[in-house]
Amino acid sequence: MTKTNGRRRVVVTGHGVVTPLGTGVEKFWSGLKAGKVGIREVESFDTQDLYITIAGEVPDFDPKVHLKSRPLMLADKYSQYAGCAAAEAVEMSKLETPISDKEAYRSACVIGSGVGGLTTLEFSYKMLFQENKRATHPLTLLKAIGSSASAHVSIEYGIKGPTYGLVSACSTASHSIGNVYRMIREGLVDLGIGGAAEASLNWGATRAWQAMRVLSPDGLFPFSKNRNGTVLAEGAGILMLEEYEHAKERGAPILAELKGYGMTADAADMVNPSIDGASAAIEMALADSDLSPSDIDYINAHGTATAVNDLNETRAIKRVFGNAANNVSISSTKSMHGHCLGAGGGIEAVAAVKAIGENYVPPTAGLTDPDPECDLDYTPIHGKDREVNYAMSNSFAFGGLNAVLIFGPPPA
Amino acid sequence: MDDVADKIIEILRKNMKDPSKTVTLETPLSELEIESLDLAVIVFDIEDTFGIEIPYNANEEVEAFATVGSVVDRVNSIIAETKSSGAAA
Repeated sequence: MTKTNGRRRVVVTGHGVVTPLGTGVEKFWSGLKAGKVGIREVESFDTQDLYITIAGEVPDFDPKVHLKSRPLMLADKYSQYAGCAAAEAVEMSKLETPISDKEAYRSACVIGSGVGGLTTLEFSYKMLFQENKRATHPLTLLKAIGSSASAHVSIEYGIKGPTYGLVSACSTASHSIGNVYRMIREGLVDLGIGGAAEASLNWGATRAWQAMRVLSPDGLFPFSKNRNGTVLAEGAGILMLEEYEHAKERGAPILAELKGYGMTADAADMVNPSIDGASAAIEMALADSDLSPSDIDYINAHGTATAVNDLNETRAIKRVFGNAANNVSISSTKSMHGHCLGAGGGIEAVAAVKAIGENYVPPTAGLTDPDPECDLDYTPIHGKDREVNYAMSNSFAFGGLNAVLIFGPPPA
Repeated sequence: MDDVADKIIEILRKNMKDPSKTVTLETPLSELEIESLDLAVIVFDIEDTFGIEIPYNANEEVEAFATVGSVVDRVNSIIAETKSSGAAA
């Protein structure tokens, strides 16, 4: 069957990640299962004069080892992370590349980033304003632009259809994946790479985040009574999406089906999320996937560990799920990989796909003392075996920009 | 009221929805209709004005931010600490 209710189905045929728990899905997933925390004292820049000195940095990322293409080796780290995660996803999907001329225009590449090559910009401003250099490095502009990750990946694999970056702060990856899903479903393309990358950990950005007073100096403890803010992190999360018949025909491995996508905006406040916006996005994703709340086995929560997010997200889940809220397993894997900002939704989508594939719910690390007002099953400390047929991944960004994805098992 | 208090009230007024409201040392911050993001801006402005750093986290209830007077006290004590550590160095 090509269609459900006359609709083209979209499956996941590959995925890839770069995370503070390591590079590659297997390392990432085994880290999540073990409840390993990738948040540490910052090593990549001098934290002098900062009171926030921890972050989720990607360990041991060597462009020479992790990348093949020379242009990518000269790119900003955010594009390098995207290129590395995309390579893992494409290899896993067993897609022949470069994509044939026949299919090239029927392929998409939407890889976003919250801020693109911010570290490249910081470095070049330092050179100009502090070191009084007369010019910046000639690649500065190409490294900095927020569409360079998607451009690099399209060049790498010969993707000639819709290709661009998409921006929605911490919902960027989920919106990008959802965008490719809709293009496949609506018949514009047959396959596409979707996700996001972020590598904005530097002195200036930390200073800016610090001024917003939302970061924790100690760690990221979602749904905890003692949660005191989020922790910045970096990485990439990319999915290879494909129309079901197309994937089946070429004998591709099918990891999961992308069943539904919901997106809304709170249209209310830049930092205070609304229950209305979040729950409307969840409802929209459920309706799109033709599922009811009781069908959902696992929710990978946005769970940033700020005072406002965790309470708002709990209330939104309760509003939509009703009694089913008590039976669904929830966790915030940010407790382990940190808040990877624009890339977060992509990394968390991979966690959701793995949860389905392995019938396993990863934990919320560090949740020893839950907030009494956050009273759902957040899978504290230890992950658990559980049959996971349908998994939801929530992203609720600054500005009230919400994106929710629902994954299901490979079509029978 | 001292100079520090005057300057702090001036900073608060800039960020209030209704700057014509009466503000005294006893006024609770909650009465000034200041939202969390405004508070971050106010703290930034105070730090910049007095050349100090105020440890403040929007995720936590902080006693020092209960009333205008408690903010003034906190700022005065940080100014004193900064001066004494500067003298020691």
